[in-house]
Amino acid sequence: MEVFVVSLLNGLVYGMLLFMLASGLTLIFSMMGVLNFAHASAYMLGAYFAYTLSLYLGFWIALIVAPIVCGLIGAAIEMWGLRRVHKNGHIAELLFTFGVALIIEKVVQMTWGLIAVPYRIPEGLNFPLFDLWGTQFPAYRAFMLLISALMFLSIWLGLTRTRIGLVIQAALTHPDMVGALGHNVPRVFTLVFAAGTALAGLAGVIGGNYRVTEPGMAFSMGPIVFVVVVFGGLGSLTGCFIASILMGLIQTFAVVLDYSLADLLEVFGFIVTKATPGSEFLMVTLPRIAALLPFILLVLILVFRPRGLMGTRDT
Amino acid sequence: MIEAAIQLTDVRKSFGRTEIIRGVNLTIPKGQRHAIIGPNGAGKTTLFNLISGRFPVSSGSITLNGQNTAGLAPQQINHLGLSRSFQITSIFPRMTVFENIRCGLLWSRGHKYSFWSLLGMQRSLNEEAEQLLERLNLHNRRHVYAGLLSYAEQRALEIGITIAGGADVILLDEPTAGMSHSETDYAQQMIRTVSEGKTLIMVEHDMSVVFSLADVITVLVYGEVIASDAPANIRSNRAVQQAYLGEEAA
Amino acid sequence: MSTHVNAPTPTPAPAPVAAPAMPASTFLRRHWAWLAMLVLMLVLPWLFYDHARGRHSGFAITLMSEMALMAVFALSYNMLMGQAGLLSFGHAILFGIGAYSVAHTLNWIKASGVPIPVELMPLVGGIGGLVCGILAGYVATKQRATAFAMITMGIGELLTAAALMFMTFFGGEGGITTDRVTDTSIFGIPYTRPIQVYYLLVAWAIIAAVLMYLQTQTPLGRMANATRDNYERTQFVGYDPRVIRYWQFILAGFFAGIAGGMYCLVYEIVTFDTLAAVKSANALLATYIGGAVGFFGPVMGAVVVVGMQSGVSLHTSAWLLYLGVIFIAMVMFAPGGLLGLVANHIPIARMGRLGELAVPYARISLPTALASAGFILFVELVTHQTIGASQGKKFALLGQPIDPGSTIVWVASLVAMLVGTLWLRREGSFFMARWNALIEDAKARGIMS
Repeated sequence: MEVFVVSLLNGLVYGMLLFMLASGLTLIFSMMGVLNFAHASAYMLGAYFAYTLSLYLGFWIALIVAPIVCGLIGAAIEMWGLRRVHKNGHIAELLFTFGVALIIEKVVQMTWGLIAVPYRIPEGLNFPLFDLWGTQFPAYRAFMLLISALMFLSIWLGLTRTRIGLVIQAALTHPDMVGALGHNVPRVFTLVFAAGTALAGLAGVIGGNYRVTEPGMAFSMGPIVFVVVVFGGLGSLTGCFIASILMGLIQTFAVVLDYSLADLLEVFGFIVTKATPGSEFLMVTLPRIAALLPFILLVLILVFRPRGLMGTRDT
Repeated sequence: MIEAAIQLTDVRKSFGRTEIIRGVNLTIPKGQRHAIIGPNGAGKTTLFNLISGRFPVSSGSITLNGQNTAGLAPQQINHLGLSRSFQITSIFPRMTVFENIRCGLLWSRGHKYSFWSLLGMQRSLNEEAEQLLERLNLHNRRHVYAGLLSYAEQRALEIGITIAGGADVILLDEPTAGMSHSETDYAQQMIRTVSEGKTLIMVEHDMSVVFSLADVITVLVYGEVIASDAPANIRSNRAVQQAYLGEEAA
Repeated sequence: MSTHVNAPTPTPAPAPVAAPAMPASTFLRRHWAWLAMLVLMLVLPWLFYDHARGRHSGFAITLMSEMALMAVFALSYNMLMGQAGLLSFGHAILFGIGAYSVAHTLNWIKASGVPIPVELMPLVGGIGGLVCGILAGYVATKQRATAFAMITMGIGELLTAAALMFMTFFGGEGGITTDRVTDTSIFGIPYTRPIQVYYLLVAWAIIAAVLMYLQTQTPLGRMANATRDNYERTQFVGYDPRVIRYWQFILAGFFAGIAGGMYCLVYEIVTFDTLAAVKSANALLATYIGGAVGFFGPVMGAVVVVGMQSGVSLHTSAWLLYLGVIFIAMVMFAPGGLLGLVANHIPIARMGRLGELAVPYARISLPTALASAGFILFVELVTHQTIGASQGKKFALLGQPIDPGSTIVWVASLVAMLVGTLWLRREGSFFMARWNALIEDAKARGIMS
């Protein structure tokens, strides 16, 4: 029971982190049709900036400044890079963001080195919040949940209560129409891109010390975020939210459920031994393939339901 | 009883809650030259999209040479003998003019998905493509990339690709749009010759082209057919005059 | 006009007809690029012959072998990207499965004694890639552009992770080792020396390239272009674009598998990185940098990528950054790649006015060199601070040791970058003005094809 509740909470934390990343990506993808490969790079930059900033100015300053810097970088990339490439088509845009991701990874390696940096949870938040059947639930995770919930709330309010938010909502599903109606679509695009990047940066600030901060984190986190975006469906933030939580729970629970296909077959009386053909495949346990699950899901989703959970447009 | 080339029975099409085509009934016999006219937004191109399989109907049925086309993909409808051109030029811009025409010929000449025969060796195929280019007056442009052609040349190429496969039901969507007077005349002549013995359905705004080419004219207004008759009768039809032609044309 | 669609005149599907005998001079003129490349590939190793030791430089031979197989890999990638307009992020799985197939086959030959010629191993790789292409392609090509890219990425990640986990086929982290010296050569060559393997690879590279080139001249190849240009129009001339893409994917898999087989013969060990995203990215970079339109582009790109990966990487760990910068510059300013850049000059050359660009080029080469030098110096300084110093390397410029701590060097690099960039912008607009004038003239004379 305790394992279940602890995993549930951890899965929620991870899922919210994924949502912070995936929501920005969904917005950008749905509106501009650009699959932003560099999105996870912003996550990485957020973590690294926060690390350096907190060394000199403390964590709380970093929490505010790092995402802003990321957002500014995003705006610059959009205005001077992406926009110019836009006329060459979607593939060119994709390739551009791919090149940016490549460069950012190298720059990070150059600036901070090849090995992980010791970006730690700030002392002020490093205490156990409460006890759950003998396991402690760290306060920092509650803090993460708080930040991500606040973020979700402000996005939701921003999108539904402000004028620019309504324009963005419309552009999510009907980008061409919004332009035809006379809104300054390029400016909206820059805003959304910058906001999405800043969000990713914020995710990096609070996620970087929860997980590891190292130069490969963008390329290992990136694909999972893509899966979430596709899973949730284009044009739907709610779908993205559900998909993020689901993914977080799936990956967290997979690690604790030490079962394999062979165990399942055993329930039906079919014993698998080393001699059985394909035994290696049947005997692999869930924790070992936890890293694989998002991609299996991706392939399944794209084959059976390309729209995702709640998508309004086909991918 | 000879089946019609195209038969529309109570066809309706809605996009979301907007009904574009509101119950169209139309029979187009084989070999007829049929024009569809109407004000902007009447649904003429949508009708073409339904007939050619680009969109599915919301209700009602469409048959091609007696066969129901519901659920068929565009290429399957093409195999049944229907070919169409587009209002917004739809060619292969990064291939030469010659290649464009040849692509239009490939399937009907049985080449299908072959990757074991070299196109350079297919003498009859290449000759046919050359001949078609002559008729389209594009022969001296055959090595130019289609994207670099002038607008009128692209429209001619558009028609060429449409008829290359030898379909016997041809849909032309505003073939002379944007053409000058002399270009229109030439296009009109070409359309007349290539549609000999075939069924032609044409959406057009140029009334001189319509009245000189068409055997039957259908007037579409707000997704409904308000008249479908020989040109002379259409000209004098009160409802048509009010909705579309204006008093002067009578 | 002609026949009805419903009853097409049956055209007998012809077998590839041998070309009518062509005078030698015409053959040479038309195919000079192929012949030049063949000669180059045959002769190049001898430039690196160490007369003192009586053998070729092992490093150079391996480098050239890598270029040959990378070229085949990139050409196969271009069957998807440039020919069919499909962007794949998992092309390496076809390469890797081909490599693993050959490794297992070689081991099986050793164990069972079945005399399959070692010369046919790349073909075995091709079959492995073909099967993988049939399976993966079925799932991937059902989708349109972006979904296709993501499915290929997903399958790529899946297989890479699986390769790390499963021992039987993939050998887990250690991979599968093999030995190409099997005594089954049909020419009696033992393949104990790298130069022998190199010439085998050259033969296969030429065969694969010629086949891929011929494929572009077939109905499928042309219709793949059509699908790239206009998906919808392809349907309305009677083709199912998804079937076209599926076939193209399968064939691309075949050739990628050949490249994988070549890889196995060179390195005699196959690990998960032959399947990984980095490998797929290499194909992407090589194809794009070389030029996705036009046939030979990917070959040029492969030479550049391998040159940087195995050559430049010896001098600096920032080689991938430079590659990335080149890549982005191409995406933004030269989407046709290197080949595209060269091809852009053809109308001007036809006019005979190519010489008029000599001065403009000279004028932009100086600021470009300055800006690049500044950039490289800066990057190297930074890299040395974080990575190099910990590795105990000394910083040296053109043989002269330089103290990376001195401010002057840093300032110099920044100034060079700044001045170079500003100067380049001015010279750049001058260059573009002359360029555009020449192009306008070419258009007016109808030389632009």
